[in-house]
Amino acid sequence: MSIAALKIDNLPTPKEETWKYTNLPRAIPADLKEAAGEEIVIHKNSGEVCEQIEDILFTAVDGQRTAPVLKITLERGAQMTLIERQQGEGAYWKNMRTEITLAEGAILNHIRISDDSMQAVNTNMVSVSVERDSVYNGFSLNIGGKLTRHEIDAVMNGQNAEVHFNGVNLLNGTQHGDTTILVKHMAPHCNSNQFYRNLIDESAKCVFQGKVYVDQIAQKTDGYQLSNTLLLSEKAEMDTKPELEIYADDVKCSHGSTCGQLDEEPLFYLRQRGIPESEARLLLVQAFVDEVVDKIVNEDIKEQILQRTNAWLMAALKK
Amino acid sequence: MIKIKDLKAQIETDDGEKEILKGISLDIPDGEVHAIMGPNGAGKSTLSYVLAGREDYEVTNGSFELDGEDLLEMDPEERAAAGLFLAFQYPVEIPGVNMSTFLKTSINAVRKTRGEDELDALGMLKLIKTKCKELGISDDMMKRAVNVGFSGGEKKRNEVLQMAMLEPKFAVLDETDSGLDIDALKIVADGVNAMRGEGRSFLVITHYQRLLDYIKPDVVHVLADGKIVKTGGPELALELEEKGYADFIGEAA
Repeated sequence: MSIAALKIDNLPTPKEETWKYTNLPRAIPADLKEAAGEEIVIHKNSGEVCEQIEDILFTAVDGQRTAPVLKITLERGAQMTLIERQQGEGAYWKNMRTEITLAEGAILNHIRISDDSMQAVNTNMVSVSVERDSVYNGFSLNIGGKLTRHEIDAVMNGQNAEVHFNGVNLLNGTQHGDTTILVKHMAPHCNSNQFYRNLIDESAKCVFQGKVYVDQIAQKTDGYQLSNTLLLSEKAEMDTKPELEIYADDVKCSHGSTCGQLDEEPLFYLRQRGIPESEARLLLVQAFVDEVVDKIVNEDIKEQILQRTNAWLMAALKK
Repeated sequence: MIKIKDLKAQIETDDGEKEILKGISLDIPDGEVHAIMGPNGAGKSTLSYVLAGREDYEVTNGSFELDGEDLLEMDPEERAAAGLFLAFQYPVEIPGVNMSTFLKTSINAVRKTRGEDELDALGMLKLIKTKCKELGISDDMMKRAVNVGFSGGEKKRNEVLQMAMLEPKFAVLDETDSGLDIDALKIVADGVNAMRGEGRSFLVITHYQRLLDYIKPDVVHVLADGKIVKTGGPELALELEEKGYADFIGEAA
């Protein structure tokens, strides 16, 4: 059931939803006032290669309920890098819709920094459609918001296309962060990757549901999915549901999911080399997160993200 | 000078506590290389972990002193700064942490605790380059994650590299020969031999005599069932190679 179609007084309970993990009615304040949501439309013409990074910001203020829309269309062979920042102040509900359409040979690098206020709810329904030879390269840093829900529906329509959904969830307090990804392989020779690393602290809760669907026609599919989680406190919670649904007989698909605490072996090794325990722990959790951040192609953006993740990790381990 | 006295240690198992080291006493004078040999399950690796301060083991008795300083009360990192180095039997892979970051952090942490100045980037680079060259380690290895995808020989060479950079007073080599072919063994042994000398002692733990052909010990101890059951010169190693450990297993029981 799409949240986008819903009214605030008519939200589904977890029981009613096919999605069982998010309790939206409880999270969203009842007295929000509807405010106009921005609509940002980005259209790149055929062959347009943008050197400049587009940096866009979605914001909201206390008491608002907005439904912003982001539409990105890249025509044949167009290329661009986009940073999407989610921010705001106070308690609000941003109910977003994102539509991404990539024509043949188009390349989109999309970095989303979900940095909403700690009282805010951000739900985001994303549809991604890629044609032959195109590449969608997505990275999502989920660090803010009381409750965030990131639901991605990707369809691979043409041969030899690639989609990458990489992400890092850094959650603490009573934060709740959901990610659901469905990648539909509807053409042969396509490649899809889902790679998430999650650090959950205090009483925070994180959900990762990833699914790779391979149609009968989609031979030679390469589908990969991995979610690794480190729980930093006893009350932290992680729910994972990795799924594969395959109807073609010549494919390479894998999924994996781990959840636990920092390994003692590497920690002892580093300490034996004189590195104090706190520093060794920091080094290991940084490495854990960096392996995903490293997938970002642009070095400046990578650096920005690392500054943000490192600051969070240092604060988390200092307690 | 290393003084280990009546060291006893146990580990928590499903069936309660199990004593693994049952009273080990050992003196290693400055500059000497002692070897510990023994059958599987004798407690060889446990001894190395206990000396390095791994928290899975509980020390119930005894003392361990390095130049008069009690190490048992210290954290693993403090022992490292005090001059203890453990070359691991199975060096741990650490994805995402590259070699040069690791070496920099390690060297400077140790220097800081020892009250020495931390090395700047250039000084560090120089030190790494010099030591790598001495040990035949390519610069390329410095860009890789710690031990990740290293061959058995590379891992052990990496241990010797770290030892050379940290310049310990007491190095424990835990089955350094395992997983090594003869060429790699020679390189590793040369690295160790180059560091032998005044102010540094070694404890070489091994299952086979082969390693001791290349790293010649001053004293050989036999460890069986958590105790040292025999001590002798290098000829003891040859005797063990010939006769096996059967006699000692009986003796310990």
